[in-house]
Amino acid sequence: MVNKMMFVLLKQLVKKPATNPFPVKHAPKNVTELIEKVQRGEVKINPPVPVPEGFRGKLVYDPERCIGCQLCIKVCPADAMEWIPELRKIRHYVSRCMFCALCVDICPGKKFPGEKKNVKALRMSEDFLLADYDKYSDSLIEEPPEAKEGGV
Amino acid sequence: MMAKTQYYVPVGPIHPALKEPIRVEAEVEGERIVRVDVKRGFAHRGIEYMGMKRNAIQTLYLSERICGICSISHPYAFVIGSEKALGIEAPPRAQYIRPIIAELERIHSHILWLGVVAHEMGFDSLLFWTWKGREKVLDLLELLTGNRINYSVFMIGGVRRDIKESQIKAIKDAIDFYRIFTEEMKNVFLSDPVYKARTRGVAQLSREMALKLNVCGPVARAAGLRMDVRQDNPYDAYADIEVRAIVPQDIVGEARGDAYDITLVRLYEIEQSLDIIEFCIENMPEGRIMAIPNYVVLLSKIKKTKGEAIGMHEAPRGEVVHYFKYDGTRDGPAVWKVVAPSYNNINSWAPLLLGAEVADIPIVVAYIDPCMCCNDRVAVVRDRDGRIMDYSLIHRKAVEKTMRLKRELGVRA
Amino acid sequence: MTPEFITYAFAFPILGVFLGLVYKGIDRRVSARLTSRIGPPIRQPFWDVGKLLLKETIVPENAVAWLFNAMPLVAFASSMTLLLYIPFGILKAPLEGYGDLVVILYLLTLQSLAMAIGGFASGSPFSSVGAQREMVLMMSYEMPLATVIVGFALVYRSFSLTTIATTPVWNMVGPLAGIGILLLLVALLIVTPAELAKLPFDIAEAETEIAEGMLAEYSGRNLALFYLSDAVRGFAMAAIEVVLFIPFTLSSIFNLSLTGPALYIVEGLWFLFKVLVVYLLAITLVRTSFARFRIEQASRVFWVYVNIIALVGLALVWMGV
Repeated sequence: MVNKMMFVLLKQLVKKPATNPFPVKHAPKNVTELIEKVQRGEVKINPPVPVPEGFRGKLVYDPERCIGCQLCIKVCPADAMEWIPELRKIRHYVSRCMFCALCVDICPGKKFPGEKKNVKALRMSEDFLLADYDKYSDSLIEEPPEAKEGGV
Repeated sequence: MMAKTQYYVPVGPIHPALKEPIRVEAEVEGERIVRVDVKRGFAHRGIEYMGMKRNAIQTLYLSERICGICSISHPYAFVIGSEKALGIEAPPRAQYIRPIIAELERIHSHILWLGVVAHEMGFDSLLFWTWKGREKVLDLLELLTGNRINYSVFMIGGVRRDIKESQIKAIKDAIDFYRIFTEEMKNVFLSDPVYKARTRGVAQLSREMALKLNVCGPVARAAGLRMDVRQDNPYDAYADIEVRAIVPQDIVGEARGDAYDITLVRLYEIEQSLDIIEFCIENMPEGRIMAIPNYVVLLSKIKKTKGEAIGMHEAPRGEVVHYFKYDGTRDGPAVWKVVAPSYNNINSWAPLLLGAEVADIPIVVAYIDPCMCCNDRVAVVRDRDGRIMDYSLIHRKAVEKTMRLKRELGVRA
Repeated sequence: MTPEFITYAFAFPILGVFLGLVYKGIDRRVSARLTSRIGPPIRQPFWDVGKLLLKETIVPENAVAWLFNAMPLVAFASSMTLLLYIPFGILKAPLEGYGDLVVILYLLTLQSLAMAIGGFASGSPFSSVGAQREMVLMMSYEMPLATVIVGFALVYRSFSLTTIATTPVWNMVGPLAGIGILLLLVALLIVTPAELAKLPFDIAEAETEIAEGMLAEYSGRNLALFYLSDAVRGFAMAAIEVVLFIPFTLSSIFNLSLTGPALYIVEGLWFLFKVLVVYLLAITLVRTSFARFRIEQASRVFWVYVNIIALVGLALVWMGV
């Protein structure tokens, strides 16, 4: 009744569990209460496992830098980019994005006066907690502010 | 009252032993299976068709989504084939980076399989332990490529991300870790009495049967066939390494081709992968990583290309073959055909299950490491009277249904 | 029927259910820590039972409804009765004198039988296969289990558990019979997971093979009753092992002279501690570190290996006494 696995397991018993208890160790009785407590600073949330350098998270769009070349729309494998002809800018649906960062690679960007190099309009952030009930919620759509206000 | 002696046991399309949809219909007498039928086709997604509507770069990343676990195998075969068709060659440095990523993926896929097969026989602690070890290679892949799965680093004519000096240290650390971890895994898996009892003689595939059923990858190697794309048809840096297929007769003297041998093959392949990665990082040449760095130029070159090619890669599950035809009119493949290893390997289920026990179903199902979504290529839909419905009809009906659902649910158009 | 007896009869099952669930919680927690996980809170089994009781109880269309619904009750009732036969440390068993080890053996069997019949009655192929497996497994482990009990009867010339509990078995026997008793202990430890349908012998409930087997069709209240009887059975089995093999009281080890409530509290806690140790070693550790056997392999293990161990043990006891 003894095998090698038993020793491996007993060794693990004295070590710390491998689980990262994010956001809290056990499911809370009341989630909204927990969120309120966190907002008030009474409870601390355990941070997620840190992401390494170069992580491809949520896409961030800077419409100021966008020159409207539509190259990102051309390469996007998931059709996550939408062209807004009125503004000559793009709209990005994070819920469709597959985080390949091809658009970031291809984006030519724009040089503001005084800058030496072009800065891209698109970049990958480290934000990966993107769960939402509504795939069209504000946090999941990147668009120029005029598009939001103008309703185009 | 006479007790019913034959039971019909349906396994799938949804069943705790299956992580993906497929159906095994077994007629069971006591514990013995007397009749068996395997039905596939639950996960057809029309990816090839989609790929033929998009440009090559989009299709490349679509091909990554064919399989969720070996997410570099399909792009690898894709870039190899495309490069042949376009007549370009990846720079030497890229040719060394690609095998590193591919072998890291083989390590994680094999460890995943070891955990899954342990789970199928109720050995959940082994599943947790192996997957805990697998975490490290996923972290490393995240560091190298920016994502844990679906790495998106390959590009036709090179790779998109270079391996930096600081990352090489992380790779070396991981290799040291896995040298020890694989040794431990060998100890645990190969010596465990219950594991041996459950796998010895189960899913036993003779050499002749393996040849007849056209199995490939570790399944064929466990049966003693020396076949490995990296050995038979070397590409990229594999040509410099001289990979040799791992077969059980080299390790223990004879190949029985059962689930125990396949465990052996997979465990030793992890070590082989470590050797390959070590060779690659030591002999990695300097230089560019992309033959054509500009995607727009690349796409316009593809648009002018006429030709066809086959790209092959040894995925963790077996050989992945991609066929392309570029006809010079559009910037994507005019014909794209994918052959995934599970397609061949699933053929071995029916003969192996016949006469086996109900308890063996999960192991027979898991031992080939099946990937259902890889292998469904065609779906034939029939209406109630058995007539085949053509594409346009199905499309129209799908649109109608979506519209109806949207109306009923009040979804924003 | 003294009032004391009636209090016992109610307090024991309630305490037994409580302890069974607590031990199950500890078992899950320790099992999680063994596999490097955090695991559920120890009160999780209570929540599970509470939630199951709230859920709808579904009876499948082609099940034999009355049999299907009756079997959880039978299993639960038999596990409750089982509790009444176990001497709690130095407390006497409430039903002492009304039955002995053989009754305990049958009560343990009755639960497995109830589950098997429930499986057959649910009319699903998975349940039927599971029930068949359970029957085969029962036939396999009954023999070594009976051998162990006969071995004890040889030593004490009695089947009464209270008699056994009052005098430690190790004081009754010489060195030769001591080795025999040790072998019987090994046999009983191997039978334990099979008796409780835990890994490596949870063949009848194999999740990946036959989708929880006998329990596949059970839900709601019925499943809660099976869950409770399973929890109680785990505790009872460990308690029986403690009573049989490590009955030493704390006062006898350290020559303490406690009286009144202090004695009962200290001895009670000591008993619970012993049960916990046996539970963790014989059930938790074993179920975590083994894979599931195939049914014919499990039968072979019991008919050949465990039987040999048990019979050699019995022979040694017979020679030694």
